[in-house]
Amino acid sequence: MKTNRSNRRALSWRALSWRALSWRAALLAAAVAGAAFQGGVVLAATKASTADHAKFKELQQGFASGPEVTRACLICHTEAAKQVHKTKHWTWEFLNPENGQKLGKKNVINNFCISIPSNYPFCTSCHVGYGWKDANFDFTAEENVDCLVCHDTTGSYRKLPGLAGHPPYQDTEIPPGSGKFAKAVDLTKVAQKVGKTSRDTCGACHFFGGGGDGVKHGDMDSSLAAPDKALDVHMDATGLDFTCGTCHRTASHDVPGSRYTPVARDTEGAHIPGRQDDSLPATCPACHGQVPHKGGGHAAKLNDHVDVVACQTCHIPQIARGGVATKMSWDWSTAGQMGPDGKPMLKKDEAGRVIYDSKKGDFVLGENVVPEYRWFNGEVTYTLLGDRVDQGEGVTRINRLGGSASDGRSLIWPMKVFVGVQPYDPVNHTLVTPHTAGNDDTAYWKNFGWEKAIKTGMQVSGAPFSGQVDFVRTEMSWPITHMVAPKEDAVRCGECHMKGGRLEKVGGVYIPGRDANPLIDLVGWLMAGGALLGALVHGGLRIVRRNG
Amino acid sequence: MKSRHLLHMILTAGLLGLSLGAAAYDADWKRGRIYYRSVCTACHAAQAGGSIAPSTMTMAQWESYLKADKHAAGKDSLKKYVGKEYRASIRTQNKAADKFADVPDAELFEDVKAFVIKGAKDGDAPASCS
Repeated sequence: MKTNRSNRRALSWRALSWRALSWRAALLAAAVAGAAFQGGVVLAATKASTADHAKFKELQQGFASGPEVTRACLICHTEAAKQVHKTKHWTWEFLNPENGQKLGKKNVINNFCISIPSNYPFCTSCHVGYGWKDANFDFTAEENVDCLVCHDTTGSYRKLPGLAGHPPYQDTEIPPGSGKFAKAVDLTKVAQKVGKTSRDTCGACHFFGGGGDGVKHGDMDSSLAAPDKALDVHMDATGLDFTCGTCHRTASHDVPGSRYTPVARDTEGAHIPGRQDDSLPATCPACHGQVPHKGGGHAAKLNDHVDVVACQTCHIPQIARGGVATKMSWDWSTAGQMGPDGKPMLKKDEAGRVIYDSKKGDFVLGENVVPEYRWFNGEVTYTLLGDRVDQGEGVTRINRLGGSASDGRSLIWPMKVFVGVQPYDPVNHTLVTPHTAGNDDTAYWKNFGWEKAIKTGMQVSGAPFSGQVDFVRTEMSWPITHMVAPKEDAVRCGECHMKGGRLEKVGGVYIPGRDANPLIDLVGWLMAGGALLGALVHGGLRIVRRNG
Repeated sequence: MKSRHLLHMILTAGLLGLSLGAAAYDADWKRGRIYYRSVCTACHAAQAGGSIAPSTMTMAQWESYLKADKHAAGKDSLKKYVGKEYRASIRTQNKAADKFADVPDAELFEDVKAFVIKGAKDGDAPASCS
């Protein structure tokens, strides 16, 4: 019995154990299955990074300011700030080795918002640093480097005009008095989620150059944050999904692709990974080589064009194609008009876009703009502060692009040509650097007085000002290289090979179709017709004589 | 009775696991943006008389709308239009649906949610349709 009882107990325990085990197993399986359903999601969503910054103790704290975050970043990334310090993104200075001009955002004048000096706290919202509020900014301080503006992946990090490169540390009304508030940035959240740069991070500044979305470039605006194939074949978010860094391949934080010394004609072949020279200039041939169209016949004929025409000329048929208008002209001379209530006013077009602003003057906007075309060899010369400007000499070119049909270095490039009317000193014959942004007594956007604004701005620039103000017509050319359309949408042959076509104003080259001479055409047709007639007569006579 | 108890416990454990997993999922707002614009906006613009920008509603309104899971004034489920079955049905004409054809439903729904919450009127970055 005992044996039986103990056997039964043993059996019962065994059964219980199995039952308990099976319960536990089932519970565990269910829990694991539940987690796996979502856990699989977690794994699937994991990016290629080998580091989860949220796990770093240095970043598991509250941060009161951007520099505090940078100090934490530099504990591991010891060389990062030193590298950034050497780049144009940091110095905003560039010495053009070809002509010795001292350029960079800090030095050039343009015909959009004009210039940086005396407007630092506003313009430096696009500087990769913290605290550049005046000419005394410390360019040697490592903690002044802003890591987050390029490495944010949350999309919540932003720097506001007027804060000298800082993000808002508390909810901030912008513009002041508008009732609209920008939220304080959660620095800990952003720091724990840093990652590679993206179209969003680069675009946070480059899409908004000139003071607004799409204003400056025409081929760069917020529509490129997640574009479709029709807008850009390379950045197509559902296709190749290139980031800016795919072409502007960065080393030691230095981003290639210069507006001051661009590569207008890349004569090298495709750059193959693994070769000793691992450079990758941000040019089309760097990937597509010198024979980009594959096949014979029509493709071969297209390849015949690559030593004359930049790829962009055919493959970017229009700019501002993503639904965001670009500014085509800006007339500062009409600024300062007030509304019926005596206050600054805005005028908008039928699409709701601002075409007049009391602070800035009149604008002309454009969408789906056909570029202008010019020979370009990569040489850019700027009209800088102190260079002579004369109203009577017609349009002042803010930047003069070198190039001709005969120099062997030029290609025909598409350009956005931006026209401005901006203040200048008619006595000293120079462009001027007005103090526009600010809440002080001399800021133009506060008091609408050019003399006071220019006096302040020129003092900060260290340049003489006569006290007199007039306006001069200016022009600035922007070579176009983004918004590459699908090949089906490329410029057709007939759009250039015709009279009055896209290349009508491009000189120094014979373009069949455009340059046809009626007399030469007539002679040619007569010769061809004569040859045909001769052959027919000759053949006919032989037939007749044979029959005879 | 015991088996019912066991079933309840298994279900509870499953849901617990599910919720733990859900809490761990880190939504990809950029993927949500692509799907929202390429699928939701594209269809609304073409067939529903206009698109709905994320910035037209507050974060709370989006939370409530997504939780209710009612599409077309309650005629069908909102989640249906993020589901694999729907994506498979349009993938030949829609590149986003094709690209994300194999993304788990719950994940893509969270992605879209992350985008509209971020782009809401009071979100981190109010977003328009395009």
